[in-house]
Amino acid sequence: MAELNIDKLIEIVGETNVSDDIADLYVYSSDASVHQAMPSVVVRPGRIEEVQDIVKYANQNKIPVIARGAGSGMSGHTVPIDGGIVLDMKRMNRILEIRPEDLLCKVEPGVINDELNRALKPHGFFFAPMPSSGMICTIGGMIGTNASGNRAVKYGATRDVVLGLKVILANGDLVTLGTNTKTDASGYQLARLIVGSEGTLGIVVEATLLLSPLPKFKAMAVANFDKLEDAGNAISKVMASGITPSMVELMDNVAITAVNKALDLGLPDVSAIVIFECDGMVKEAVDYELNAITKICEEHNGAGIKVTDDPGEMARIYEGRKKLFPSLSRFGDGLVSTSLADDMAVPVSKIAVAVHEIHEIAKRNNVVMSAYGHCGSGLIHTKILMDPTKESQWEDAKNAVKETYEFVHSIGGTTSGEHGIALSKAPAMKEERKDSLDMMRAIKKALDPNNILNPHKLMDAPDDWASATGLRYNVRGGQ
Amino acid sequence: MDAKNLKKYEKEMNTCIRCAYCFEECPVIEQKGWDTSGARGKITLSYGLLSGELEPTQSIADNLFQCTLCRNCESKCPSGVEVCDIILSARADLVENGFANDTHKYVIKNIKESGNIYGDTEAIPPVQDGDVPLFIGCQYLSRPNKTKKFIKILEKLGINVKVGEEICCGFPMDVLGFKDDLEKHKEQFKKLFPHKDAITFCPTCTVFLKEGHDVNAKHILQVILDKLPEVNLDMKVTFHDPCDFSRGLKIIDEPRLILEKLGVKVVEMKNNKGNSSCCGGGGGILMSDSELSDDIAMKRIQQAIDTGADIIITSCPTCETTLKKAAAATNERDGTNIVVRNIEDIIWKGLKQ
Repeated sequence: MAELNIDKLIEIVGETNVSDDIADLYVYSSDASVHQAMPSVVVRPGRIEEVQDIVKYANQNKIPVIARGAGSGMSGHTVPIDGGIVLDMKRMNRILEIRPEDLLCKVEPGVINDELNRALKPHGFFFAPMPSSGMICTIGGMIGTNASGNRAVKYGATRDVVLGLKVILANGDLVTLGTNTKTDASGYQLARLIVGSEGTLGIVVEATLLLSPLPKFKAMAVANFDKLEDAGNAISKVMASGITPSMVELMDNVAITAVNKALDLGLPDVSAIVIFECDGMVKEAVDYELNAITKICEEHNGAGIKVTDDPGEMARIYEGRKKLFPSLSRFGDGLVSTSLADDMAVPVSKIAVAVHEIHEIAKRNNVVMSAYGHCGSGLIHTKILMDPTKESQWEDAKNAVKETYEFVHSIGGTTSGEHGIALSKAPAMKEERKDSLDMMRAIKKALDPNNILNPHKLMDAPDDWASATGLRYNVRGGQ
Repeated sequence: MDAKNLKKYEKEMNTCIRCAYCFEECPVIEQKGWDTSGARGKITLSYGLLSGELEPTQSIADNLFQCTLCRNCESKCPSGVEVCDIILSARADLVENGFANDTHKYVIKNIKESGNIYGDTEAIPPVQDGDVPLFIGCQYLSRPNKTKKFIKILEKLGINVKVGEEICCGFPMDVLGFKDDLEKHKEQFKKLFPHKDAITFCPTCTVFLKEGHDVNAKHILQVILDKLPEVNLDMKVTFHDPCDFSRGLKIIDEPRLILEKLGVKVVEMKNNKGNSSCCGGGGGILMSDSELSDDIAMKRIQQAIDTGADIIITSCPTCETTLKKAAAATNERDGTNIVVRNIEDIIWKGLKQ
């Protein structure tokens, strides 16, 4: 890597949008993951041409470039493992076009998910992928990780609703990928390849997104289960019954305890709570689906089943789920939540067995693990609750992560459902996708021969996540 | 750096999972744009100072002092992280290590020398005997006409307040990082104001009397709500909730109910009640970064204009100051006609009707 020429970057974006001050470098050295590594400089481009010029300069000088949105990724996507330029994309936050008649909109990557949905609402449409972090996460970040959120079970993940992209390649070229239509059989689906590539193949500077009409009716059913197995079986039965819920969210007992402590929601102390939501344009159809779900839950020993179509009540229920992940830090016992083994997906029929095993793995390894997630699509989130200042706990966490993914793979599941791989899940993905690694590396090499775009992530990440970078915690010795 | 104040918050800083949910509607990050400006950035910097990975620098200090302490981040944080306490501890450690801001030092000097944030030796309380102790606070002491009006409102509603000598509540020492000075100041304060209960005029003093001095302080709006007669002023206004009111004291309904009793229709701004936006005046930035303070206030004024109301009412002297300045600038720039008034003006007008 050549020495950085800060003046060159200032020339491109202006002085107020470049910083190599220690305060900024330190803050941009971490995200919501456990990792930490210092960038050489942080740059905030505002226009496509600026991104092009920065990438051209970086490519000529073999300087890493890491695009970043809100920095809410949990696996170290934006942690600059080799230093270099962190591109904060939040200034590129314009909604360029809303075309309800074509069911699409065009946006810059720094647009925040909730802001896009606020703008779409008057048109009667919404952008379906809605991560819990929707109030702060950017469309660019969602594209980077192929985020999905709780309505993906019906409406699909980000990849399913990206029609086209404008991307800056590693040599600085601007390319337009994909199209404006829902169907597209014109060659390799390169826009779909960029989605989920975690900034390793190009930098997204514009996205054409498919919109969905806002449903006129919504209703929720919440069921409590004393046995995880019953909850898992109920979810599997619902999904196989021909009903397409717009949300299926499971919370295990660890999650329930944490949410109650943090948000005082008074949820029942049961093994699992499952939230089902159905939506549609016809009230009778929504009611029919929800009735069928209620019956299935009853058949599987679901208790205290509450059905509501009251918007306030539904918002309260949803709020608890939405804020679950950060609430886990209030579980207690001196433990805090770390973003490890945070994301996986298993075949829907295996949810109960996976959640049960996750709890066993946690017990064996002296940590606490919660399991929750958008289980209608087989997606499970966990977090490892531990004392991150103790060195011994990191050994426990390493074992727990390894055992978790080994089990997930053994039942036909995959390493990440929506958060992506980056650093902390890379060893597991490399194990799972052994046959694809050479193909992934060939694609990377073809598009980024100098390895400047978010280098050493995914298939090129170090084999030991714990030593891949520094940890952002003040780790000391002790048991 | 010896981070003695931050030490006790290590666990709390680890509790922050850095999800960035605190970015939502943070007035400083909205203006500055850098992640460093948000609550997560400030906690990250504080953690670095505590762990020793960071040595203090002027830019780190500047970032940690660029916060209005509006508590919006705390209300958004699902982990319930005590963001403001962490920032205040970091500020205290920075001040102890030589990073006090010059304008802040000047304010602290004023308090130490005159008992008043402005060094206003003519800011003398209108001493009188009465039933309930009244704490006026520096800002209203320097606005004697407003103070008189407040006292008259109370008297008219049958509440006779006891006014004695007083000095600054000490809140600026707490927020600007002068913890050692605050401990000494508290002793002096206690001697002059030994009461367990008090009526107050300023939301910030109210919070600090409760949290810093263990005084059962009640803001005047809480005390007069039930006693106010119903009148019809036939006005349409919007109400700006001061942060220390809506998020600090959780006083949200009282001002609206008072305005309703006075026949004043309140149209809400986009951000209102517990989700109110800051006026830009808190946390010391009014003194140390007036440009940032002005930008935040201008945004708030625009929200008020968007309601269609011509009058924005507030109940805090700092909010009144910042919003008046922003309203004047906006009116001049855009030809609008928004007026900022303190709620005591409206109450007095109602009582005279």
